[in-house]
Amino acid sequence: MTASKTVSPGRLLTQVAGERQTGVLVVGGHPGGAVYVLEGQVIYAESPAAPGVGELLTASGRLAGRTWQNALDLGTSTARVGRLLVEQGHLTRGELEMCVLGAIYDAAYFALAAGAAQVDFLTGATHWLGPVVHVDPVAVTDEVARRVRILDEIFPDARVDTTAIAPATRPPRERISLTALQWELLVHADGQRTPADLALLLGKAGFACVQELRRMAAMGLIELPEKPAPGPELVRLPRARGTAVDVQRPPVVQEAQPVVVEAQPMVVEARATAPVPDKTDPPRHSVPDESAATQALYRPPPRLARRKPGARLPKEVAGEPPPVHQGTDEVLLKRIRTALRALR
Amino acid sequence: MPGVDHCLQEAMAIPGAVGASLVDYTTGFPVATTGAAPNSDHQAAAAGTADVVQAATSRSLFVSALPHDLLEDLIITTAGGYHLLRLVHTDFDSRLVLYVWLDRVQGNLAVARRRMQKLADELVAT
Repeated sequence: MTASKTVSPGRLLTQVAGERQTGVLVVGGHPGGAVYVLEGQVIYAESPAAPGVGELLTASGRLAGRTWQNALDLGTSTARVGRLLVEQGHLTRGELEMCVLGAIYDAAYFALAAGAAQVDFLTGATHWLGPVVHVDPVAVTDEVARRVRILDEIFPDARVDTTAIAPATRPPRERISLTALQWELLVHADGQRTPADLALLLGKAGFACVQELRRMAAMGLIELPEKPAPGPELVRLPRARGTAVDVQRPPVVQEAQPVVVEAQPMVVEARATAPVPDKTDPPRHSVPDESAATQALYRPPPRLARRKPGARLPKEVAGEPPPVHQGTDEVLLKRIRTALRALR
Repeated sequence: MPGVDHCLQEAMAIPGAVGASLVDYTTGFPVATTGAAPNSDHQAAAAGTADVVQAATSRSLFVSALPHDLLEDLIITTAGGYHLLRLVHTDFDSRLVLYVWLDRVQGNLAVARRRMQKLADELVAT
């Protein structure tokens, strides 16, 4: 194992491949990833931003989650999950190879695109999927560089790749045509999900999602983030909105004051309690009076202390507690159970 | 059971085949290649292939609005050859297209199209 160091991950990959090593190149940072090398050839790559083989196969419905889990249980320890799936007839060799090839290039883009990152090489490590395909590391690094260029040609703003995606509320043109993937992305973009979340949710290649999102950003179909993220974001905060402002009356011009004052009995009352106002000079005094009246009329809700998540509201603020559940679920479940028994 | 390499070998057995590749059409990257490529450049051929497929799928009305009327083949003929693109439909997200370059004199378009259809199907189905 080499000590963790900050280098270009692509260069280190070429280096270990040149020495025909076996192991895993772990790339830190955001999103980071790992590239598995067997005797100098890339056999797998994974990244949190790219759905892996399992996610691709199960999210699309090609494999049942149970089938995938069974293969994992049986083959993980001996690193032959891929072979098992083919041998048991769940996948054709062609499907598995195409899926793994796609996953390798997809994850490699996210793992290796960074110019410099914290990189470790763990000698001897293998991936539980087992060797399904063998890819030349030079092809991988070249393709990663090409993909970076492709994205910049579409829309040179990398903010789209990592921030939460929100569709533009109003389309920029009268008529828009979308591809199937663009539609899926727009439908599922809710202002909270990042491109990585969307890729995982839809079971689509991470790069393909980023690519379509950049295209849509170029078309003006998605809102661009206000400012670039300050760095690796571990906790995704909700998008910043304008600060809340108390509803207040518009400032009233002084000349108009006497009329307003006469029209409002409350103000008159307030002035009566005030210490002997000079009746010859109403406009000057009416200004503080008016603001006092405003405060009397508009009462903002009491400010609550910050509570822990899940804590209850204080009694005086909280309304009626939600009705206690009457146990209908139990009755329903019993009926379902009896019905199921009758079927046996 | 045929894998990707076996599929490309079979494609090269099609009468008149000069080169074949399996191209990721979202990125224009040749995932696997064999034989020759126009201008001896598989990368450029793949990029061109991707552009053609994208144009057909995203910007035109060739892809009808009817459900399941999916794009199957794209055929480009030149004076010297035939270029056949066959979309490989997988259940999972793969976006691959099988590309075969045929010599115009030795190749037979109809035969090649049928053979490629079979190859693309075999790659996915058992």
